[in-house]
Amino acid sequence: MSAATVPAPVLEVEGLEKRFAGFVAVDGVSLTVAPGEIVGLIGANGAGKTTLLHTVYGRHRADAGSVRFLGEDVGALAPRDRARRGMGLVFQTTSIFPTLSVEENLRLGAMPKSGRASLGDADAIERTLVTIDLVAERAVAADDLAHGQQQWLEIGMALLAEPTLLFLDEPTSGMTRAESRRTAELIRGLRAERPDRSVIVVEHNIEFIAMISDRVIVMHRGTVIADGPIDAVRADPEVQASYLGRRG
Amino acid sequence: MFALSLDLIWGFGGMLTFGHAAFFGGAGYVVALLTTRDLGPLPLSVWPAIALAALAAGALAIVVSLVAFRGRAPLRGVEFALVTLAVAFLMEQYARASATLGGQNGILLSVRLEAGPLSLHRGHGFYVLAAVLLVGSYVLVRRFLAGRDGRVLQAIRDDEERVELLGYDAGRVKLVAYTLSGTLAGLAGAIFHVHDAIVSPGAVGVGASTLVLLWVVLGGRGTLLGPVVATVVLQHLTATLSGLYLETWLITVGVLLIVAIVALPGGILGWTVRGAQR
Repeated sequence: MSAATVPAPVLEVEGLEKRFAGFVAVDGVSLTVAPGEIVGLIGANGAGKTTLLHTVYGRHRADAGSVRFLGEDVGALAPRDRARRGMGLVFQTTSIFPTLSVEENLRLGAMPKSGRASLGDADAIERTLVTIDLVAERAVAADDLAHGQQQWLEIGMALLAEPTLLFLDEPTSGMTRAESRRTAELIRGLRAERPDRSVIVVEHNIEFIAMISDRVIVMHRGTVIADGPIDAVRADPEVQASYLGRRG
Repeated sequence: MFALSLDLIWGFGGMLTFGHAAFFGGAGYVVALLTTRDLGPLPLSVWPAIALAALAAGALAIVVSLVAFRGRAPLRGVEFALVTLAVAFLMEQYARASATLGGQNGILLSVRLEAGPLSLHRGHGFYVLAAVLLVGSYVLVRRFLAGRDGRVLQAIRDDEERVELLGYDAGRVKLVAYTLSGTLAGLAGAIFHVHDAIVSPGAVGVGASTLVLLWVVLGGRGTLLGPVVATVVLQHLTATLSGLYLETWLITVGVLLIVAIVALPGGILGWTVRGAQR
């Protein structure tokens, strides 16, 4: 394949390290994400998945290594500057603004790029309300939503900033099976809406990851131990031993 | 206006401060110095002095904001509250020790609030002036809160880190809100001290800062009108009780305040709104 036909990666992480008081949470991780790719990031508790996500986003300062986003080294940038360049993060624990209404929360998600609330934003907010299935709850205080709805609201807020790369940290945590299925549809819909949008999803639920991901990265004790299609990863002996709990 | 200015940053921005009187009393000192000193273009007439005093309070708010919100480790929550407490304490001690500021006695002001033949210094004239400024401040703050920065400010109250992660510069928004608040508190302080004809160290200190916190709590934090109502009620109550019970009026006001704050957690306005909804 010629260089012209290979799209440049959206994200290039090289030798990334993050330590907490001597404990190595992320240990020399390297990975790339292509435009439009949905990547599942799995691993046992304490494997370093969330730390990796937050270090790439700039919430944690990396101790070594580099992060390039759309070709630019963003290692020295604050999280808000990475957000302005097109990164979006949805937390494991929902962190919507509880006293504000659903619509006000979405408006906040829409504002950083648009500069000010305008008619165009109102259209985008209407579309997002439909996408996240919260049209009837638009005036409800976010704190009064069910857990799954709060998670969808947070995804909606992230979408309104039109991210090129969206990080979802355990989006189905605490959800019912029906809510998880709806969330899978929502995530698949993100790419249908904008084919060049990439998504990295951190999850424990491997079946959920199998439903949505093009590629799966497995972490164990701060390192990447497997990277590939879900079937290949499932068959990997090291993954079976360290994460899926099967031996021999 | 003083209570309204505090409600903007505490009620809507979540910035608890024990030093808001620094702007109120500080502007009082500035207007006193500008109208009583004989130096260069001084003394100024009353209105330019009031305008400059309000701007000086806004400038002080910018300095505090730059240190508190724009440094390498921005201050939040209790840390910010403690720093403002220290600022209020230092300003009060400085005012007591400074001969330029009149020491313990403060500075007497002799200028009057007049517009041509119209006296706004006492009686109805003063109340009209205060009401016009209050309504103007209320409209200004409401417009600010309805705009982009105002919405972000209310989100900062809920979760400042999340606001940053969405791509906003939370420190800049806090600086803008704090400067607006400081300027309004300064304008209120300048007018109040010209009307009162004296400014003394207590005006910049912890006591005055705590009193305005009480007004906001009693009226209903985050309501804007509640603190205004509470200020009027509390000042009227204080004046009435101090005339009736010379020895025990402060204790009586204190007990009433505790009862009101415990019984009305949403403040007077919150209680009234809930009552109307039932």
